[in-house]
Amino acid sequence: MAGKTGSMPATYSPSPATRKKKRISIANGADWVRPDNRSFYQCRPAYLRTSAVSTAAGSAYAEFGNTKVIVSVFGPRESKKAMMYSDTGRLNCNVSYTTFSTSARGQGSDNKELSSMLHKALEGAIVLESFPKTTVDVFALVLESGGSDLPVIISCASLALADAGILLYDLVASVSVSCLGKNLVIDPVSEEESYQDGSLMITCMPSRNEVTQLTVTGEWSTPKIHEAMELCLGACSKLGEVMRSCLKDVVTDSKE
Amino acid sequence: MAAANGSSDLSSEMEVDAFRRLFPLRYHEQHLLKSVRPDARKLGSARDTTLALGAVASADGSALAKIGSTTMLAAIKLEVMTPTVECPDEGSIAIEFHMPPICSPLVRPGRPAEAASVISKQLSDTILNSGMIDLKELCLVGGKAAWMAYLDIYCLDADGALFDAALLSAVAAFSHLNIPVVSLNEDGRIVLVSEDKVGLKLEKEPVNTEKRKLKLNSPPFSLTCILHKNYILADPTAEEESIMETVVAVVLDSSYQLVSLYKPGGPVLAHTSVIQDCVALARRRVKELQNVLNEAISDMEVD
Amino acid sequence: MVGLSVGEKNFIKHGIAQDLRNDGRKRLTYRPIYVETGVIPQANGSARVKLGATDVIASVKAELGRPSVSHPDQGKVSIYVECSPTAEPSFEGRGGEELSAELSTALELCLLGGKSGAGAGIDPSSLSIKEGKVCWDLYVDCLVISSDGNLLDALGAAIKAALSNTGIPRVQVREAASSDEQADVDVSDEEFLQFDTNGVPVIVTLTKAGRHYIVDATSEEESLMSSAVSISVNRQGIICGLTKRGGAGLDPSVILDMISVAKHVSEQLINKLDSEIEAAERANEEEP
Repeated sequence: MAGKTGSMPATYSPSPATRKKKRISIANGADWVRPDNRSFYQCRPAYLRTSAVSTAAGSAYAEFGNTKVIVSVFGPRESKKAMMYSDTGRLNCNVSYTTFSTSARGQGSDNKELSSMLHKALEGAIVLESFPKTTVDVFALVLESGGSDLPVIISCASLALADAGILLYDLVASVSVSCLGKNLVIDPVSEEESYQDGSLMITCMPSRNEVTQLTVTGEWSTPKIHEAMELCLGACSKLGEVMRSCLKDVVTDSKE
Repeated sequence: MAAANGSSDLSSEMEVDAFRRLFPLRYHEQHLLKSVRPDARKLGSARDTTLALGAVASADGSALAKIGSTTMLAAIKLEVMTPTVECPDEGSIAIEFHMPPICSPLVRPGRPAEAASVISKQLSDTILNSGMIDLKELCLVGGKAAWMAYLDIYCLDADGALFDAALLSAVAAFSHLNIPVVSLNEDGRIVLVSEDKVGLKLEKEPVNTEKRKLKLNSPPFSLTCILHKNYILADPTAEEESIMETVVAVVLDSSYQLVSLYKPGGPVLAHTSVIQDCVALARRRVKELQNVLNEAISDMEVD
Repeated sequence: MVGLSVGEKNFIKHGIAQDLRNDGRKRLTYRPIYVETGVIPQANGSARVKLGATDVIASVKAELGRPSVSHPDQGKVSIYVECSPTAEPSFEGRGGEELSAELSTALELCLLGGKSGAGAGIDPSSLSIKEGKVCWDLYVDCLVISSDGNLLDALGAAIKAALSNTGIPRVQVREAASSDEQADVDVSDEEFLQFDTNGVPVIVTLTKAGRHYIVDATSEEESLMSSAVSISVNRQGIICGLTKRGGAGLDPSVILDMISVAKHVSEQLINKLDSEIEAAERANEEEP
């Protein structure tokens, strides 16, 4: 029973003996295939389910390839006493990772950056006037991180909000593309994200054709941004339909 | 639900849901009188239990356990450590139980739940003391390298009997654990041998071609019961736990030997006969859980 | 936040619609930029930028560090922003934290480029000293002293100026004995290397007020914004980063239009900023 408590010994995860040379000839790009054999403009198959957590007001589970996310929505509950009076509702977002979500064992702590990104992506879609003086909590847990985590969290969170019966202007769908050399690849996996030249993420409300959040990193020329945005918006509207039908299925199932 | 009839003056005039919220204890007691629980279970029976192995691809072993709505995700990641001087041929296991804010409205971010650390301790005591795993099996190179198994259990949905579900998922994760083939390189560090090269002739012989699976000796299972007056309720939901406070958790191993018995106070004082009844319920439950585990393992092998 | 009455808000809105803002500017004109470099002697580089009443300081500190496992041939750059309570009473205690975090994230997004280092203002591979062993870690710390809107653009300009002011000591690597040990290095205290800051982008924030958008909004103008888009553009007119603030949604075509406007505005801003930085550097040299 040695070494189980008290002083934790230092550990390391064994790395592969032969380090693969990554970024193989993407720049010239002609016959490069994606790690999961998708075509460049093909998204991973999405599995969505609402009401994943019984104790929450609303919740959703999303699985895009290896990216698995659960989002729970609690409330609306009374805002904290310390907060000032507000005639619109407040949104409180939190994103955390499990310790086993990434290939190296992490700390599983809260991710402030993603939390604020999630907040910004959602707040424009929620009818905050419908719950004055109160707060809605949106908590996300990434069970497994397989790339494009933030877009999956956002889409899943909007589904959870809908499941909780929070008034929304529209569902929020989010998709990202990575720029690898000359190529644009949609819905990148972690491996692609680790050597991308740039990434663009769009969060939009498909039926209103409004972008609630847009982030771009890396080097982009204007025509490339046009191309990437169109690609993302197309994928968003398709994802929006999938989310909508997921919600509809629940309703028809419960009626039967 | 025929909860509100006659016996109480108020209950006849009230809707069932309102009565349940206003007088939770009376609501439950009226059920107990008829030997039935609000979710139509008998007092001594547990909720439907399902188990799925290999839920997390990024871990070396994982399992998802569901008891009713209570959901637990356990995953094991193996890392390499230098064994301690006292036990040079033993690996180690670190167990942590997490209650992320998604699992219950009572948990808020930044404030870890009190229950989490209690269950964490209980789990590691149970798993390490039951002798289920021989730590010597985790040894790679005597005195030089051994496996450190990080077992993390996340509660995804907290609806009562958390310890039972957590222990089940932990045992299942260990039974699913696939130990990767590794070899020792020149620097004295352990490196992975990729799957396609296992058969080939290597300059460095893998150190563990044999031990790819852990042998589990008589894995433990548990049943949480609630004592209320002279009723014993097996496998309580979160609602039942919040109303009736006295809990007894019985952990038995696969040959029905008592591993641990846990009764953290509570207003109900239990007679020895009551404890014996709890153990009898637990015995029945262990049989069920063994079947669930074996089915999950055989399902995995078919795939 | 500035509390404005409905009348005041309308006044500003109508002014913007007529291309004449409260301070006499047009929609796409910046306030005068004032740059001062070398304001913090103990840092490797520093600069203070004033944009109207907005006043920020950026400092660059270089430290030797170990490169990450995933990018052994690159150094690391981190940006941290602090909002001083002198800028606004509400920043006191933990009040400024949220804004600080938001600005830090936006700056990292706009200036540090993609994961492979493409589009980065500072080429991370130029910070490498010995692959996998030693590299420079740049810590960019910013302080908001006074806030009158458009903090992000001002911080971006201050970082650009601070980087042009930064001298990194020349480093000689002694052959290390063991492969595992930390490499032995000689840090020169006489010879300094300058960064090539030509590639560092500027950030242009377009604030949408009503149907029009304006650059370099004051905090009065920001209080009636529905959304804002910050775009970082380098000298070649290539977009290096983009973030959106504010909850209201935007039509995709509006965003594309904003990008082309930002590209146009950035040209003037880069030229203006470069000449200001040069003047500030010259003033520094003349002083003993």
